[in-house]
Amino acid sequence: MHQSFLVRFSIVLAILLLPHLASAETWYVKKSATKLQAEASARSDVLGKLQKGTSVKVKKKSGKFFQVSAGGKTGWVFRFKLTKKAPAGGQGDGDVLSALGGDQKMSARESASGSSIRGLSPISEQHARKKGATDESIQAVKNMEKFKVRPEELDQFLEEGKLGEYSQ
Amino acid sequence: MRNNNLKISQFSFFCLGVFGLLVWANPSYSFNLDGFLKEVEKSSRPQPQPKKEELDIKTQESPPQTQQSSGNDGIIGLGQSLGIFDKKTSNILKQSVNTLQALQPIAYKEEKAIGGRLAVEVFSRYGGAYDDPELLRYVTLVGQAVADVSSRPDIDYHFAILNTEHPNAFATPGGYVFVSIGLLRMIENEAQLAGVLAHEVAHISQKHALQTLERSRSLQGVSSLTLAVMDKNPGMLDKLIDEVSNVLFTKGLDKNLEFEADKYGREFAYRMGYYPGGLQNFISKLGKSTEGGKSIFMSTHPSAGERYSLLKNSGSRYQKASLYPVLKKRLQSALKRPIEP
Repeated sequence: MHQSFLVRFSIVLAILLLPHLASAETWYVKKSATKLQAEASARSDVLGKLQKGTSVKVKKKSGKFFQVSAGGKTGWVFRFKLTKKAPAGGQGDGDVLSALGGDQKMSARESASGSSIRGLSPISEQHARKKGATDESIQAVKNMEKFKVRPEELDQFLEEGKLGEYSQ
Repeated sequence: MRNNNLKISQFSFFCLGVFGLLVWANPSYSFNLDGFLKEVEKSSRPQPQPKKEELDIKTQESPPQTQQSSGNDGIIGLGQSLGIFDKKTSNILKQSVNTLQALQPIAYKEEKAIGGRLAVEVFSRYGGAYDDPELLRYVTLVGQAVADVSSRPDIDYHFAILNTEHPNAFATPGGYVFVSIGLLRMIENEAQLAGVLAHEVAHISQKHALQTLERSRSLQGVSSLTLAVMDKNPGMLDKLIDEVSNVLFTKGLDKNLEFEADKYGREFAYRMGYYPGGLQNFISKLGKSTEGGKSIFMSTHPSAGERYSLLKNSGSRYQKASLYPVLKKRLQSALKRPIEP
């Protein structure tokens, strides 16, 4: 009686757990141009760039890198470029489609973020002028918005400091 | 006796089964840092204050609230007609629904317009821009690095150095981050700078000023704050900017939001591979210095002692990161200080 219960219970538990153990976790890319690399190292070859909102299947975890598959390719991504949180909505626009063809989901609200909004809004500038802000202060904000660092420059900075994906 | 043993065994297997199901239901919880931080957020975030019911401004820009409202009224009305709610309860529920629908979350375009306007205010009030493109490049690289591993890396972040000797740091909505040259002169290493910048990035990524703004009395009756609404209601925009300026530059954000920005700031610096104690060390240094008394970064924030203690007491998960780099020489080189050993 006891043994029979144990066997039955183990079978039920195995049925419940096995499909899950076999399936990979789904994570999402947080920012466009996230690198998919050949190995769990920032110095390895870049297989492609993933776009924001791309869903990836995590196959393995190794330190600060996750091995993922997306759009038929498998590679490694720095883990903090990924999130478990699924993007809301699903109304992604054309320019965010993944170069690798992964599943796309992103919110319409956030699709307006990043590169599509440039410069100090005319309403902000008019209001600042009305309130007596100087040309110098307004120009300072415009200069601040124009000042950029190139991705390669940031990459080199991280490598030199052994930071981010280059950290040990 | 045998029966008892059997019962105990069955109970043990039942417990094992329940545990198995729990693991099955949420297998990756322990890896979910965002989830962990959300839990922190839930516990520390103040609850929004209820808004006044009276609507001051009606605009044509409002989304179809009426339909939603009538839908909810309908359900509540149905509950009333079925005897589930009495009239008084129905009215309270209807009022609650209307309050919750009072303002749609502010979208990024509008957030950036408000943040840009406040950024002009920062330059006007705090000495203008400090002219050193090389140093600005360094600050931007550190700031962008921590922003890239934040919970909101997908917007543009802009960094500036303010020409004031008072040690200050600010963030305005939409991605504008400021540090004063006075603060940079006090910083001892790059990990401390990363901590300060990550604290400011956290205010933006967690939309702290926006939360305050969404509860603003100036926005009562506005269901959707669009650029067109701002354009058509200059009086409202005046009040809004005055109110947020007062919070950011004089009164300070809610204490719990500052603690939250400290925790997130440390987390972002840690994710980037910096020594995670940088922020708490700088807070301690600023708290002890006479310059700290002149700092908006201090006067609009909870006391340095409170912030230091909170970070110290909640930092057990960062113990393994105590050997992460602080990059002292790189900061000294960027600030053209003599390189200390």
